[in-house]
Amino acid sequence: MGTGEGGLTLEGIAAEAAAPAPRRRRRLKLATPALLGLPVSWLVVFFLAPLAIVALYSVDVLALFPGPHSFALGGWYRLFHEGYIHLFSRSVKMSLVVSALVVAAAYPLAYFLALSGSRRKYVLLLLLIAPFLTSYLLRVLAWKVILGDQGVINSFLVWTGLRSAGHPLSFLLYSRFAVMLVLGYVWLPFVALPIFVTLESLDTRLLEAASDLGASRLEAFLRVTLPLSLPGLVSAFLFVFIPTVGEFVTPSLVGGTSGYMYGNQIHDLFYAGFPDWETGAVLALFLIGVISALTLVFVRFLRLGDARTI
Amino acid sequence: MDVALSTNGRRLMRLFFALVLVFLYAPIAILLVFSFNKASVPTFPLSGFTLHWYHDFLTNSELQASLETSAEVAAISSVIAVALGILASIGISRSRFRGRGLVTAVLLIPLVIPLVVLGISLLLLFHVLGIQLSILTIAIGHVVISVPYTILVLLPRLGQIDSSLAEAAYDLGAGPVTTFRRVTLPLILPAVVSAFLIAFTTSFDEYAVASFVVGTRPTFPIYLYSALRFPSRLPQVIAVAVVVLTLSMVVVVAAELWRRQAEARLEAAA
Repeated sequence: MGTGEGGLTLEGIAAEAAAPAPRRRRRLKLATPALLGLPVSWLVVFFLAPLAIVALYSVDVLALFPGPHSFALGGWYRLFHEGYIHLFSRSVKMSLVVSALVVAAAYPLAYFLALSGSRRKYVLLLLLIAPFLTSYLLRVLAWKVILGDQGVINSFLVWTGLRSAGHPLSFLLYSRFAVMLVLGYVWLPFVALPIFVTLESLDTRLLEAASDLGASRLEAFLRVTLPLSLPGLVSAFLFVFIPTVGEFVTPSLVGGTSGYMYGNQIHDLFYAGFPDWETGAVLALFLIGVISALTLVFVRFLRLGDARTI
Repeated sequence: MDVALSTNGRRLMRLFFALVLVFLYAPIAILLVFSFNKASVPTFPLSGFTLHWYHDFLTNSELQASLETSAEVAAISSVIAVALGILASIGISRSRFRGRGLVTAVLLIPLVIPLVVLGISLLLLFHVLGIQLSILTIAIGHVVISVPYTILVLLPRLGQIDSSLAEAAYDLGAGPVTTFRRVTLPLILPAVVSAFLIAFTTSFDEYAVASFVVGTRPTFPIYLYSALRFPSRLPQVIAVAVVVLTLSMVVVVAAELWRRQAEARLEAAA
């Protein structure tokens, strides 16, 4: 910073101009820790340290209720023996289905936008993504209004005489179906984006080459486009799977008891009538452990894929 | 011949695209319709036009207080997040130092952490440190969520601009602050504005983390969530929903169009 002051005078400019280039480069290098210091410390203090505290709670070193405490693995025992693990696998299955469906629906949308050569593609892309950029809670609310026993669909069916009053389609709301529908609705616009980005950077000459060499459109798609868009596909999948597997807001609004998810359990262990922070901490750590492992596997898998195609 | 799509394929995809747009916008349209409906329960048949619910929410002081709280939290957290994001992006983009991968990973990891985990870990941190929960504790959490987004917006833009411009400024005697203010900032300004808007709207809309670290003043999403449990407040909430959804969509789309134009202008000037 001191040199900045001197730089405003003629002498300063002369001195600076005379300074050899390595000095300038060294100064740029010295500035890097200063630049990164604040953001990195913010995340260390308000993100990594809190996770460390969660870890301490999970082994009973820290605890909600005062009293003597020491290292104990009771919470981890409860994770595997009190049904939490079943709830976890049920939530994982729900998220896997939602992510797979959403990615499958988003792929043709992104493909259409990226490869159709339409001049309006950015406008259409924006139209597709815009709902994602608005309030999450309010989009969930919309479905609560639509799916309820007295809601838009059921009252419409009664009104038009398709169903008799008093016999609503009750599976619509407060069910696993409702949770998965709403999660799919919420994430669909966002997922098209990473797929669009990879497809758009695809070199279309490769497709022309494939076609010149006698490949049909389907072959060209299966052997050129699809493999090359795999990174976008996988990151899109992870972008839905990760937030939905830990979701608690949507299931608590439209899930009822049958749509209860692992994230709700974590939330309730911290807030319900009998809070159990130690077990809650275990559940949270287990969740991020599984997510990190999964992410690593996918990333590794993608790297291997790259190596093979080269 | 089009190698990517046959004529029929194109037609089919256009139809699918249209159907998806209907699926995405129909629920919002339904809210719009029922926000003007007289009955206090959103059911068919429609029972007449009214502005009653809009009037109700304009006079609901609890609701307005929550909107103000959210605006405060969003303003604080987005300013901090953008400042940190600018520092981090310049730091990452400028040099290839050892540990760059690790630092980038730390800065971006919050993207792949479920919000419920972020929420409880912050709750435990403030509990252990004995910090009173307030709008500041929410803002702190929102900064953690937003910083990665700001970096993802700023980093590509920094990669586009010619690094010799900043070097020229140094050679002409400008210090790091002057160089940033007079050279780098104007060039990345469109991206800074979009990063700010993303951080602001993310915070304004964030419920999960806020629900764990909220103090005595509820934010707008927290107010909404609690209002959803009272059926009598539903029509009013629907009216608010329409206003918020419309406003946020207009702002976001306008901002994105402006950013494209501004960056194109900067490209043309360079």
